[in-house]
Amino acid sequence: MNDLELAVGLLRDTPTHENRTGEQLRSWAQTALEYGDELAEGPDVETIHVIEREGGVRKGEVLLAEHQRGTVIVYTDALRRTEEVARSRGWSVTRESLRRAAVAHEVAHHRLDVRELNRRLGHTAARLGPFRLRGHVAGADEIAAHRFAHRRSGLAVSPLLLTAALAGRD
Amino acid sequence: MGIAILILMAIGVVLMLTRILPTAFALALLALGIAVISGAPLTGGKESILTGVLQNGAVTLAATMIAVLLGSWLGSLLDQTGIGGTLVRKIVEFGGERPAVVALGVFAVSILCGSITGSAPAAMLAGVVGIPAMIAVGLRPVAAAGTVLMGISAGSPLELPVWQFMSDALGAPVSEVRTVMIRLFPIALVVGIAYVLVQTRRGARHAWAVQLDRPKARIRRGDAPWYALATPLVPIVLALGLTVPIVPSLLAGVIYALLTTTKWGDLNERALRSLYKGFEVAAPPIALFVAIGMLLAAVKLPGAKTALTPIVSAISPAAPIWFVVVFAALVPLCLFRGPLNVFGLGAGVAGVLVTGGIYPMTAVVGLMASYNQVFGVSDPTSTQTVWAAQYAGVRPERSMLSTLPFTWVVGLGGMVLTAVLYL
Repeated sequence: MNDLELAVGLLRDTPTHENRTGEQLRSWAQTALEYGDELAEGPDVETIHVIEREGGVRKGEVLLAEHQRGTVIVYTDALRRTEEVARSRGWSVTRESLRRAAVAHEVAHHRLDVRELNRRLGHTAARLGPFRLRGHVAGADEIAAHRFAHRRSGLAVSPLLLTAALAGRD
Repeated sequence: MGIAILILMAIGVVLMLTRILPTAFALALLALGIAVISGAPLTGGKESILTGVLQNGAVTLAATMIAVLLGSWLGSLLDQTGIGGTLVRKIVEFGGERPAVVALGVFAVSILCGSITGSAPAAMLAGVVGIPAMIAVGLRPVAAAGTVLMGISAGSPLELPVWQFMSDALGAPVSEVRTVMIRLFPIALVVGIAYVLVQTRRGARHAWAVQLDRPKARIRRGDAPWYALATPLVPIVLALGLTVPIVPSLLAGVIYALLTTTKWGDLNERALRSLYKGFEVAAPPIALFVAIGMLLAAVKLPGAKTALTPIVSAISPAAPIWFVVVFAALVPLCLFRGPLNVFGLGAGVAGVLVTGGIYPMTAVVGLMASYNQVFGVSDPTSTQTVWAAQYAGVRPERSMLSTLPFTWVVGLGGMVLTAVLYL
């Protein structure tokens, strides 16, 4: 599966999109991927504090990294788990590139402008005569962050594919 | 005799806590045990074990059971017609750029769901779409679960089956229960909003996280028409604004939901299918209400009343300020199926407080309603807390730690209100 198909799957699994048409989801996925590409071309201006710790492999969840208040926490045990999953599928993924991707994913969330992304997605939540109220597309920012992380990390495999593999959906 | 009954109650709590017996079975056995210790005859009139405790006790809360069934029917309709899902989806679409707006919106929908039905079905109505949607916009999972739970609990003072339960269990007129509940609602509402704002002010949390076994979102049922979204308000407006009795208010909600969402030819099928689903949802609470009815009948037996009243009276503070201090300090006893859980042994304690004349009826209603506000959100053994926490991917105990400081304040507020108004 390519990134576009994986991104469509991500949107399909996001509540609020269950019954939207494939065409609609594909269009949104494409826009979000392009936004991630565009973000990755921009300069790095922010200072992000990165810390590492164990504890990302939890019951029912693998947490690779999280971002809050300017600090990115990278979970080393989750990186190890991801590396194992990648290796079992024959993908060449190094721990360092995974770490870079995890940090970049969170940097993308810090950097992306959800309003601008929604403007590009062009989803109308409500319409009253000539007036349109723009709607939020849940999950689109995640797709953009995955694409940004792929571009910035040099990972051999797309983070979208790694995510699907971890969840057993590849 | 009183000490023996208290020891039996303690054993009952242990059996419930350790899950050796389901709560309903433990309460029914407790009722039998109390009746035996009280010296009630096996057969005979209204004060016998077979007639008074088992026969009459089982149907003491019959009106509550019908209200719960109708609430569950309406809840099933909100689900099957897509009304609940549409409300949450619209909130995410309108407010997704601002996590606080989404969280407050889901909180508001949860209030509506909590005012219709209770327990896990209410949490599911708001949470199936609402919890992952809140996490997607940056709320921490524990806060997402807590927001739904705080909303359901804030809706609880407006939940008509709860009014009926308090009325049946304590023998209070519905009008008095309504007065207490309406006064409790603003406290639950304000503290609930404070919880949401505190959680969202901690800043959005974004993560690269992979859910391994979270249940997939349900099949979308299509958007309900805008005028159908008013369904949850119909019973509340009728019962609160026009003082229509509880059962017709809930029935009006059912009819409104059906007529605004369903084609004429499909009405029968949808009405029946959702009613049968309502029976399924209502089965656990109805089983519990049968057992609670027996327990209430047992503690009201003359022998039990004579034995328990002096003890409960001695440990129940008389001065309003000590009423608040002591019962607020005892809040943890309503958690983990403890003895102050009003949907458990707490109903028996309330029964003793009323029949012994220790506090005025309205004060006991206020006290138990205050505990219900804590139990409904923070008890890690209650079905709504377990479901919401696990669906968000956190342990129920973490959800308890996140919400308890706030629900304790709601409980305290309810007790202050009770003391000021009714003692």
